[in-house]
Amino acid sequence: MFYPCIANNALYKMRKSTLFFMSIAVQSVLLLGAFTHAAYQRGRDASILGETVALVKRLDLTDLCLFTEARYTRHPTQADLHSPFQDHPMSLEHFPSGSLLAPRKGIGYR
Amino acid sequence: MIELRDIRKVFNEGKPHALTAVDGVSLILDARAVTVLQGPSGSGKTTLLSLVGCMARPTEGRIMLEDREITSLPERFLTDVRRRTFGFIFQQFNLVKGISALENVMLPAYPLGERHASLKKRARGLLDLFGILPRESSRAEWLSGGEAQRTAICRALINDPKIIIADEPTAHLDTKLSREFMDIVGRLKAEQKTVIIASHDPLVYGSSVVDRVITMRDGKIEAAGR
Amino acid sequence: MGNWFERQRNIIDFTLSSLVRRKGKNLALLLVYTLLVFLLASVMFFTHALRKEASLVLQGAPEMVVQRMAAGRHELVPRRYLGMIKGIKGVSGARGRLWGYYFDPVMSANYTMVVPEDHPLGAGSISIGQGISRSRLARVGDFIPFRRYDGTPMVLTVREVLTTGSELVSSDLILVSEGDFRKLFGMAPDLYTDIVLSVRNAKEVATAAQKVQKLLPDTRPIMKSEILRTYDTIFDWRSGIIVVILSSAVLAFIIFAWDKASGLSAEERKEIGILKAIGWETSDVLLMKFWEGAAVSLSSFLAGVLFAYIHVFFTPVMLFEPVLKGWSTLYPSFKLVPFISPYQVAMLFFLTVVPYTVATIVPSWRAATIDPDSVMRS
Repeated sequence: MFYPCIANNALYKMRKSTLFFMSIAVQSVLLLGAFTHAAYQRGRDASILGETVALVKRLDLTDLCLFTEARYTRHPTQADLHSPFQDHPMSLEHFPSGSLLAPRKGIGYR
Repeated sequence: MIELRDIRKVFNEGKPHALTAVDGVSLILDARAVTVLQGPSGSGKTTLLSLVGCMARPTEGRIMLEDREITSLPERFLTDVRRRTFGFIFQQFNLVKGISALENVMLPAYPLGERHASLKKRARGLLDLFGILPRESSRAEWLSGGEAQRTAICRALINDPKIIIADEPTAHLDTKLSREFMDIVGRLKAEQKTVIIASHDPLVYGSSVVDRVITMRDGKIEAAGR
Repeated sequence: MGNWFERQRNIIDFTLSSLVRRKGKNLALLLVYTLLVFLLASVMFFTHALRKEASLVLQGAPEMVVQRMAAGRHELVPRRYLGMIKGIKGVSGARGRLWGYYFDPVMSANYTMVVPEDHPLGAGSISIGQGISRSRLARVGDFIPFRRYDGTPMVLTVREVLTTGSELVSSDLILVSEGDFRKLFGMAPDLYTDIVLSVRNAKEVATAAQKVQKLLPDTRPIMKSEILRTYDTIFDWRSGIIVVILSSAVLAFIIFAWDKASGLSAEERKEIGILKAIGWETSDVLLMKFWEGAAVSLSSFLAGVLFAYIHVFFTPVMLFEPVLKGWSTLYPSFKLVPFISPYQVAMLFFLTVVPYTVATIVPSWRAATIDPDSVMRS
C-alpha cells in the first residue's frame, strides 16, 4: 500500500456509510438498553416504591418532600387558602421553588 | 451516431437580453470518431456540446441519438440516458474538492446503486490504467495538474460511456500535458469510443487523432470539415 | 434502477465525506445540537418520572384531610370534631393527625414533625429522615436537642433513620411520639392538627366532603383526588416554560439550519452543479441533503437522549439540583425510578430530527434543480 500507516487502519478502510450505520446502530442499541434498564430498574424499585407507599399510608402523608423552605412549598396540598397569598394571590413566585409550582386550582384569576 | 436537425438554442428567450447561442445547426456526428468543435469563444461550441450531451434542451430542433429522439424525453429519462451514454470532461476538470481522487472517480456511479466493492474495483482499475493508482486517497486539491486531468478522465469513464464529451480540456494545461491528453484521446478512440471536443487550441484540432474539425462562428457552422 | 439500498449507502458515503471536509464546523454543530436535545430530554425525563412516582406513592395518601380554618389561618381541630366526623354516614374511619414544623436554628432548616398512629419506639425516641441525618450528621443513638415552646430544652434520641428509598417523601421528617409532640409544642391533649378520614365507598368521597363541610362550616376538606391533581401538574408550570424556551432554541437551531441550507456558499453551489453535470438527478442531490440533515440530527438526537437518561437516572441530576434546592437548607437527594415511555422519545424525535432534516432539504431544492450545463456555462 502506498500509505501503509493509513491503509492499515481498519477504520479508514471501512466505508463511511458502514461507520455511520454502526454508530447509529450502537446508539440505538444503547437507547434500547436504556429502556431495558428502565424496565429492569422499575422492577427492582417496585419493592422500594411499595415500602414508600406503606410509609405514606402509615403516616398519612400527603406531600412529596421537594422544597422545605416554606409551609406551602413543603406541603402544597395542605397549604390553607390564604397563607401563600397573604401578599398577593400569585406571590408563590417569591421563592425559587414557587416558580416550579402552579398556584392551586381555583386561585388567582379565573 | 448523433444527428442534429435544425438546432437552435436561445438563452433568456423573450427577454431583452435574449441570446441566440446556437442558430440552426444540422450535423451528423460519426460514432467511434474524434470530432472537434472549433471556434472563438462565444461561437456556441460549448452550448452545442451541452445540447449533444443532453445537459440542456434545444429551443428548437431535434437530436437523435442512435435513431432515438432524445429532445422530448422527460427529465428523468434524459438524465438516465446522459449518465449511461456520456462521460464528461470539463474545463478546469471540476473535481470535487476535499474528497479523495478515488471517490471523485466513483461519484458519477453512486446514484446508480452499483455494489460498492465492484464499483471501487472498477474505479481503481481505471486509476491504475492511467497510472495514478498510488494517488487514489489523495484529496482532489492535492493532485498535480496532470493527475487531476487523468482523474477527471477516469471519472468520465467510470460508467463506461460510449461517448466522451470534453469542453476546452486543454485550456489550463501546458503543452506537454495537452499532448498527453490527446494521446489519451487516441487511446479512447482505439477503444471504440466516440469523442467530441470543443476547443480552440491548435494542439487539439491539429492533432493527428482528430477525424473531423467543425468550425463554428456566431452559433452557426462555418466549416463542417468533412 | 440498481439496488436501492446500495444507492442510499453510496450517497451516504459521499454525504459523510463532504461533512468530514468541514470537520470543525460540523462537529461544533453536532455538539450544540446534542446539548440541546440533552437539555430537552433531561427536563422531560425528570418531570415525567417525578410526576409518575408522585402519582404512585401518593396512592397511599389519606382519602380526605379535614382542616379547620380560623381567620384565614390553619387552626387546630378540637377532639369533638373527630367524633362528629366519625358519625357521618359513609365515613368508615377517622383519626386526628398531629404534625407540624420545627425550625432548627443550628441548621436554619425546617423539619416536619409527624406523630405516627403507632410510635413503636416509645417516648423520648425519634426516627429521622435521611436529609436530617445527612445535614446534622445524626446517626442511630445520637441525641438531638430541641427547644420547647417555653424555651426549655428537650433532648430526644435518634432510634431509627428512615430508608433512603423513601426519601422523596421522608427526607425532612421527624417521627415523634404523641406525648413528646404535645410537650414540645405545648399543645393541649384535646387538639389535633387536622383530621384524616376514610370513606366506605370510594365513589362517595365528594358527598362525604360536602357533608363534612355542611356539618362543620369552619373546615375545609381536601380530597385525595385534589392531592393527586396537584402533583399531576407539578412542574407543569415551569417545565412547560422550560420546554417552550428550549423549543424556541430548537426552532432557532432549525432556522439556522434552514439559513445554512438556503444560503449555500458559492462553492457548495458549484459542487451541486458538478454533481448534476456528471449525471446526478435532482432527486439524488436532495437525497444527499436528506442524509446530511438526518446524519447530524439523528446522531445528536440519540446521543442527547442517552446522556439525558444517564444524567437523570444515574447521577444526582446536577442540572436540576439548584432548582430543587431553591432557598431550602435541607433538600432531598433521591434517585428517581426510571419511568420513561417510548412516547416521550418519539415526541422528542418529532421535535428535533424531523424539523431539522426538513429544514436542510427544503431550501436546497433550488440549488438541486440547477441546470446540469451550468458548470459548462460559468
